[in-house]
Amino acid sequence: METQMPNQLYAISIMSKDRVGIIADVSYKLSQLSGNIADIRQSVLCGYFSMILLVAFPVDIAQSTIEAKLSEINQISESALAVSIKPVNEAITFTTNTFPENTYVLTVTGQDKVGFVAAVTTFCAQKHINILDLSTTRKADQYVMILFIDMTQSQDIGSIRAELNQFSNKTGFRVVLQHYNIFRAVNEIDLPVV
Amino acid sequence: MIQPDEFLETVDMIQKENLDVRTVTMGINLLDCHRESVADTCSAIQKKIKNKASKLVETCDRVSSEYAIQVVNKRIAVTPIANVGAGFNIDGFIQIAHALDDVIGEVGVDLLGGFSADVANGTACGDLELIASIPQALTETNKICSSVNVGSTRHGINMDAIVLMGETVKDLANASAEQGGFAAAKFVVFTNQPGDNPFMAGAIHGLDQNEVVINVGVSGPGVIARALERTIAKAGAENLGLQDLAEIIKHTAFRVTRCGELIGRQVAKIMGIPFGVVDLSLAPTPKIGDSVGEILQILGVDVIGAPGSTAILAMLNDAVKKGGVFASQSVGGLSGAFIPICEDQVLAEAVKNGNLCIEKLEAMTSVCSVGLDMIAIPGSVDAATISALIADEMAIGMINGKTTAVRVIPVPGKEEGDFVAFGGLFGESAIMPIRNVGKSSRFINFAGKIPAPIHSLRN
Repeated sequence: METQMPNQLYAISIMSKDRVGIIADVSYKLSQLSGNIADIRQSVLCGYFSMILLVAFPVDIAQSTIEAKLSEINQISESALAVSIKPVNEAITFTTNTFPENTYVLTVTGQDKVGFVAAVTTFCAQKHINILDLSTTRKADQYVMILFIDMTQSQDIGSIRAELNQFSNKTGFRVVLQHYNIFRAVNEIDLPVV
Repeated sequence: MIQPDEFLETVDMIQKENLDVRTVTMGINLLDCHRESVADTCSAIQKKIKNKASKLVETCDRVSSEYAIQVVNKRIAVTPIANVGAGFNIDGFIQIAHALDDVIGEVGVDLLGGFSADVANGTACGDLELIASIPQALTETNKICSSVNVGSTRHGINMDAIVLMGETVKDLANASAEQGGFAAAKFVVFTNQPGDNPFMAGAIHGLDQNEVVINVGVSGPGVIARALERTIAKAGAENLGLQDLAEIIKHTAFRVTRCGELIGRQVAKIMGIPFGVVDLSLAPTPKIGDSVGEILQILGVDVIGAPGSTAILAMLNDAVKKGGVFASQSVGGLSGAFIPICEDQVLAEAVKNGNLCIEKLEAMTSVCSVGLDMIAIPGSVDAATISALIADEMAIGMINGKTTAVRVIPVPGKEEGDFVAFGGLFGESAIMPIRNVGKSSRFINFAGKIPAPIHSLRN
């Protein structure tokens, strides 16, 4: 019987100007080193590609070998990849697409300015609000942040709302806090179980 | 995964477009409250309502805060009181009305419906006493609503009862003359009255319902109007057919209904009682931007009452149902577009400008719910003419197998060209002219019954 070689897990982040085939190139090179991809998140921000992967390699594959292998991609492509690799030694829990029951959606709209994101996220941090997911978009000339937040560890919703009102008055941002279930109810086929 | 645009659209629906839950209505069966004396019956009724509903307002407010969706009204519907108080006389029923008014004041709900009787196929002694007590009961109480079901597709129309209805409407208006006849706004006459309608004034807890239940009435004309405007602005009116606009209404009705379903189920779960239905009616309020009339204008008639108004309303009503029925596990109540004149700023404007007459309105009610609703008419219109007006509307319901209703207010001392304001959700309107007044007495004097239509024989 074949003995299974123990694995080492690495977190790999890739950044590049977006083009067709980046994921194909990266995953092909990883497979050549017997790397097994455990999880991927990939996004394109304003034409800039970014990806983070968790990959398990046999322990005899060194970090430098992975770096060298991925740098081969730069020889075949015009846009260079910025690659960063870190070994992951703690136990991992796989992310799922389901949010905790107490997930709220915080929408913050305002004039784009330096410190917008910092102001909002600092508020969340001070109130022990954990940000599960965050995206930003533009609506007319306004900057919009959409935050999925877990309210499990924070105060009751009434006092958070009162504090958000103060925050809104202070910053001039329009702030709306609503339960995630409302968004699911009106946009998805399945009604969330309450 | 929900896209950022969809998040922002949902936020706007709630924040800017008046998406709310119009009413959470708790239905309570009171049949087991009948006692030998009126006083004992009243205290049994009060005890039961307190027992079942004391946490209703608090729970609605809690869920409302959690989801940041306003629950505008918290209401109670009870078993038709004619059944609960059968055997008592007029005075007994008036005492029951007071007991109900007192207890809902304590419980903190906005209105209670169910001071009602079902006489579609004939009138029993309890029904007669209750009907006779309605004018005094509604003028002496604040939050009690009354309804009488006078017909059905199954049984035909009880014209003896319709004679009484015209008189009752007149008595109600005259007894509340100082408030512009407002007591008549708390009274509605039905054909095919549903037992699970959460909207006032016609809410009852039908005899075929659960012991206690939570029903929800959604709202959302403003949300639909804005969605249509956005679509037309984006695509250009020249690139859209009515089928495209019907589709937008359908999708928006789905969203609106889902909010009601979510909130209603949550309230029912916390209170530990069954969830009944979502009523898909588009219920306007006098607030600007919360009007069914405005939707008709967006869909292409410059004024309400112009030719085309009925066709547009038919399409709107149908699209709302199609969107809503998939969004909810159980749809019930009235479920259609309401066109209450005083409560809808655009409709009231159409009456004021003489664009919308009662005959056109009657035609429009044949394709939507619920009927001739919240119409201020001249105080000089006699009872028989009102009865005949009611009979016409009931006939539409009976023949078409749908619910129709009449809630008119013959405003004492006011005539065509005058104006009346009831305040709050009840709104305001010019007096709607009624033609051919006094020309229907011979018809009404026949009384008796309009037999059940041929299509009642379905077995």
